[in-house]
Amino acid sequence: MLWLDHNCFKPSEICPGPLSVLVTIFAILVICQLPVHSYPEFQAYSEKHSGKTVDCAMCHVNAEGPIGILPGQLGSLSPADMEKVNQVRVAMSPGVKVDSPILNKFGNQIIKTLGEQRFLELKSDPSKLAAALGKNSDLDGDGIPDSDEYMDGTDPLNKYSGNPGLLFINNFSRYHRHILLAVVATALLGYGIVNLLKTFD
Amino acid sequence: MKPDSITYRLAHFLSTRFPVDKMNFQAMVEKKEVPVHGLSWGYYTGGLTFLFFMIQVATGLLLLFYYQPTVSEANLSIDYMMKYVTAGALIRNMHAWSSSCMIFMALVHLLVAFAMKAFDKPREIIWISGVLLLFITFAFGFTGYLLPWNQIAVNATKIGIQAFKDTGQYLPGLLSQVPKIVMETFQGEATVGQATLGRFYALHVVILPLAVLMLVVTHLISVQLHGMSQGVDRPSHKTERFFPVFFFKDIFLWVLVFVALFIISICLPFDSLSPYPLLEPYNAFGSTPPGIKPEWYFYFLFYPLEMLPFWVVLLAMTALVVVLFLTPWIFKTVSRRFLRFIALAATAYLLIITLFGQQIYALVRP
Repeated sequence: MLWLDHNCFKPSEICPGPLSVLVTIFAILVICQLPVHSYPEFQAYSEKHSGKTVDCAMCHVNAEGPIGILPGQLGSLSPADMEKVNQVRVAMSPGVKVDSPILNKFGNQIIKTLGEQRFLELKSDPSKLAAALGKNSDLDGDGIPDSDEYMDGTDPLNKYSGNPGLLFINNFSRYHRHILLAVVATALLGYGIVNLLKTFD
Repeated sequence: MKPDSITYRLAHFLSTRFPVDKMNFQAMVEKKEVPVHGLSWGYYTGGLTFLFFMIQVATGLLLLFYYQPTVSEANLSIDYMMKYVTAGALIRNMHAWSSSCMIFMALVHLLVAFAMKAFDKPREIIWISGVLLLFITFAFGFTGYLLPWNQIAVNATKIGIQAFKDTGQYLPGLLSQVPKIVMETFQGEATVGQATLGRFYALHVVILPLAVLMLVVTHLISVQLHGMSQGVDRPSHKTERFFPVFFFKDIFLWVLVFVALFIISICLPFDSLSPYPLLEPYNAFGSTPPGIKPEWYFYFLFYPLEMLPFWVVLLAMTALVVVLFLTPWIFKTVSRRFLRFIALAATAYLLIITLFGQQIYALVRP
């Protein structure tokens, strides 16, 4: 469980022996043969459109992308997990529920909504992805549709990440009762303190 | 004691700065008057800074219940707090927003106090304790920035510590080793890691608050002893009583500001202002995401460091620190009108570099 405790990492602990070097080379060769890709076209578009830094974590489990041996990457998957990855590859039509272990909820939602075939077609024009996804899905419940979060370069799975102006408006309407109560309570407290202090005057 | 001896002069200096005959409720509260003039709003800036400090203490104590100061759990504990603890996100947002507000108000307070010549004799100790409080507030910001242990926190801290270490090469002789020793003391290991987090945490929640407490007590007692400074060159002779008039106005303002802070904290997550890859848990083996920057209140130092030779910025900042501490003596005979001009120029620099630093940097270093 190196990744969970990377701070206790000592270089001597992972000094590779000849066998582990062979296994790693084999694993890399196997991964290279798999027809699985990350699609940086979408990341690049989101970054360009929003002017913000965007990484693979928008759609993938691992922020470094699906290739590698870290958690959420192909090299770390069990045979059962690889089977789930293969299910995504054959989910050509929309509506097929997928649960790829290299994709996060948003990544899986894209495949479910569009299907693998349509998704691959959009690769040549990533600007159309938002329109294709529609406005119905809001996985983090922050009131901003996932497609808008893609355009804004924010995290569709984190309700604290989003266009600040839209978040303010959405949260204000969501918490207006809390705000009203806080205003009344603070006003009453201020009134009470002022009157209490007047007694000392 | 001879009148010209150092001891006598020191005793005289202290007795005029801390007049014991005024240390009573009547002089410090009941009879205290606040001047009324065009710059009277400046008298509220210190109180607002103190309000934000109290909010920092209250929310910080609540955050302590859940925060784990270890590299493996720091980010997870904050994530847990934000997602699963009742009002956890609100408390953390209030802490984050009020920290920025506190630094903003402390800077405004310093500039206004400078423009009003509030450092004039016998208020030198008020000024110096205020400058020290400002530096400690910056130290709070720097140490607190690391605690979430995310990409921007760790990488920005590394840059900050490295910049501090680099100052050593410009110092003569044994002094050149001082930044390295200080850096190693606070970093605690070869790179920013568990030892650094533990030390920054200790500084943030114990050492700096204790230092602030001592200085705030000195600062506030001095202010109450000497009263508000006259503020303008030609006083209007119009005053209002500190208690209850000014005091109630201050409390009313606090209430309004608290409600505004509450609304901002509940509606606008502080994290939404940063790109999400920078807020992911720190990955020691991953690539450093682009856009690593300090918090906005260090831009006045960050952008000059990016654009100018290091020694130029170091020289300017050293001069600034010396001038800040010696202000009561350097500007002793300068009129408030001229001080206001200097304060406005400083404000303009801070606003321009903070708001447009990125654009200026893009122009200078395309």
